[in-house]
Amino acid sequence: MKFINDLNLRKQAENLGVKIWQTPGFLFIILGLVAAIIMAATYFISKNYDSPQVLVISESIVATVILAVGSSIINLFEQVARINKMKSEFVSVASHQLRTPISAIKWSAELLLEKYNKGLSKKQISDVKNIFDLVCKMNRLVSDLLDVTRIDQNRMIFRKKKFDFKKIVKETINESSILAEKRNIEVNASFKKEMSLGFGDPDKIKLVVENLLSNAIKYTPSGGKVDIRLFEKDHFFVFEIKDTGVGIPEEQLKRVFEKFFRSDNAARYQTEGTGLGLYIAKNIIEQSGGKIWFNSIEDIGSVFSFSLPCHNGKMAEIMKA
Amino acid sequence: MKKRILIIEDEKALRETLEDYLREDGFDVKIAMDGEIGMNLIKEEEFDLIVLDIILPKKDGFKILEEVKEDEKRKNIPVIILTNLESVEDIQKAFERGVTNYLVKSDHSLIEVSEKIKKILKI
Repeated sequence: MKFINDLNLRKQAENLGVKIWQTPGFLFIILGLVAAIIMAATYFISKNYDSPQVLVISESIVATVILAVGSSIINLFEQVARINKMKSEFVSVASHQLRTPISAIKWSAELLLEKYNKGLSKKQISDVKNIFDLVCKMNRLVSDLLDVTRIDQNRMIFRKKKFDFKKIVKETINESSILAEKRNIEVNASFKKEMSLGFGDPDKIKLVVENLLSNAIKYTPSGGKVDIRLFEKDHFFVFEIKDTGVGIPEEQLKRVFEKFFRSDNAARYQTEGTGLGLYIAKNIIEQSGGKIWFNSIEDIGSVFSFSLPCHNGKMAEIMKA
Repeated sequence: MKKRILIIEDEKALRETLEDYLREDGFDVKIAMDGEIGMNLIKEEEFDLIVLDIILPKKDGFKILEEVKEDEKRKNIPVIILTNLESVEDIQKAFERGVTNYLVKSDHSLIEVSEKIKKILKI
């Protein structure tokens, strides 16, 4: 079975969700073998029987077999593509259906906490707060799933406008200060006083900054530090976030931006998390004309960085077109 | 004088929570559970602002928005669309028809909705 592993048929089968003998790779091998055997047979037949009919018949058998195996490969591809599309549509429809009840729960809890909290005991208020926090998390998860289906179906739409990138970074740091305090993480940021405007979709860029910052805080042990730097280089912003967190094991570095990927140590350290944040971040940054990259050493920490066009640079001109 | 707001929303829980919240914030709130009732109320009574869902029984939000904006007497009433539809086409369609603000329900808390309303009404 060694050659099966070498050709990664098992992995292919897992990825496509089919049996090994149904993978395109395996069918191609069979196709090749069948063709070779039949060619050999044809050769012997034509040598032993000196008749053109036999040659024609055996050659048409070869053609038929090749066609049959080839068409089953095509069928299989179609089937896999169809299932993939259905899966994506299912996630999209299900998430949409979830949005209304989730909004209703969220608003009910908010109403209770903010307007009708008189007469509620401390315990009751803390329970409603739990409901509120958890339903907000559900809401976030559904938004992430919808974003992923949009990315997969190429339907994510980007606004194109000038925006104050520094302000977005500052806002995000402020909004996550409660989480950082709770986990006893020190968050530092350094900016230049005067900075250019960014160009792209501010809401989506904010989502990326939020994802990177919440990862840095979540995966850094108590007492750790997160340092954020924002600077400009050749008409690009560079956003850099460095943590003293759990890092990513070396053998898993390549998979960091994969959909649903979570490193073993991250999953052990934090049970929450879907493995969608960095996948979404990478897609947003690349669609915005930037790049995203990282360095990480297990147990020491990670540095995630991305670049983003300034509104006055060449890249912004290309994006405007 | 309390400002009068009309909420047209078919989902009971959303309608009631928003209604209660805005009332607590000092607004005079009227509700309608479908597009037809909503449109009739708009014609019969006076409102300072309308909060409108898009998918509604009997008459959808876009149709109501069009009718309000075509009505000389009522075209200046600010309309906020509050929906879970968030495609660019829908957002564009709403702004082309003169909506004042377009909010996605799951992206906004009640306090945010209330603040947007106060901002529009300059309270």
